[in-house]
Amino acid sequence: MPEAFNAPLFRKAVEQLDQERRCVVLDLGAAHTDTIALFSEYRCRLEIADIADGLGSLAEITDDLEQRAEALLPRAQQEPADLVLCWDLLNYLSLPAIRALSKRLSARGRPGMQLHCLIVYAATNMPVTPCPFIPQPDRSLLQLAADPNEIQAPRYSPEALGDALLGYTVDRAMLLGNGMQEFLFRL
Amino acid sequence: MFERGKKDGPEGYSNEAAPGNSPQWAGNAPKSQSSGNPGSQGAAVIGRSIRIDGDLQGEEDLRIEGDVNGKIQLRNSTLTIGSEGKVRASVYAKSVAVDGYVEGDVFGAENIIVRKNAQVQGNMTAPRVSLEDGAKFKGSIEMDPDAVNAAMGGAAKTPSKPTPVEKTAASNDKVIAASEAAARKAR
Repeated sequence: MPEAFNAPLFRKAVEQLDQERRCVVLDLGAAHTDTIALFSEYRCRLEIADIADGLGSLAEITDDLEQRAEALLPRAQQEPADLVLCWDLLNYLSLPAIRALSKRLSARGRPGMQLHCLIVYAATNMPVTPCPFIPQPDRSLLQLAADPNEIQAPRYSPEALGDALLGYTVDRAMLLGNGMQEFLFRL
Repeated sequence: MFERGKKDGPEGYSNEAAPGNSPQWAGNAPKSQSSGNPGSQGAAVIGRSIRIDGDLQGEEDLRIEGDVNGKIQLRNSTLTIGSEGKVRASVYAKSVAVDGYVEGDVFGAENIIVRKNAQVQGNMTAPRVSLEDGAKFKGSIEMDPDAVNAAMGGAAKTPSKPTPVEKTAASNDKVIAASEAAARKAR
């Protein structure tokens, strides 16, 4: 049974949401009961994009990359997002694909929108498919087992990631005990 | 309006014709059904061989095992989209349970339950939304009680502020109530 790990920036991002003010959270991962439970504590609209199965559509670097990134996201709403949860999904995208996706996310976000992600930094390999991350009541994260097969991890540096996430600034970054680097970007 | 399912069987519906003058729509409704769909016993049934293009309105509980494209309004009743059901429609009902496929926006005046084998693409609005692990969902979940109430034309039973969710168990599957507000109020 996997153990939950402490993710201070995830906790910070969630706790910065105002319980009295309406907010919009865009979760790029799959729908999960515990994620829904967590955000039900807020006056929140939770958008679930579940883009993992469509990441392959961003593998080819062509001029229409942004359109393909947009196609992965839920139908755009008028209300801008306050928080985007990327989990470990950016590890599975090239830097141009991250740039294209982040542009589409920017278009859906309000100024100051936060973007949280987990980047593999210590390990040279990572699971061949993204892992589900399940928020726990104490705001720690439980990483569920994914495909046991592995691929090489891109191990993006903060600089490379910052360059790809155009228009975002690093709010904070932290090295976690599980071999991942946790980032909180701000639009 | 629809074929009335048998009330004496555990499944709560039948592939037999309705008595009296009811239209004999349902044909091959499956005998198997996941347990615990509130209101599905004795509900009218659209069988899996039936396809409907257009608007459906009614004042009785309805189970869909066929294809429905258009708009469904059962404002005072329960709608169950069975495991064979395929709905491409805007759905308005007092209570909605999904075992099958839905593409469209779903409004529940009391609650929406998305079961583990369901696939839902669209926006869900209800005072209480439950999603079982394994369900595929892409879209948004409205959790702001004020927004839910506004979307439901004031029919939703929601308090002015959100309250934390509780975990409940149903059919041996973990179900998280995304908002227990309506249930609490009802107690």
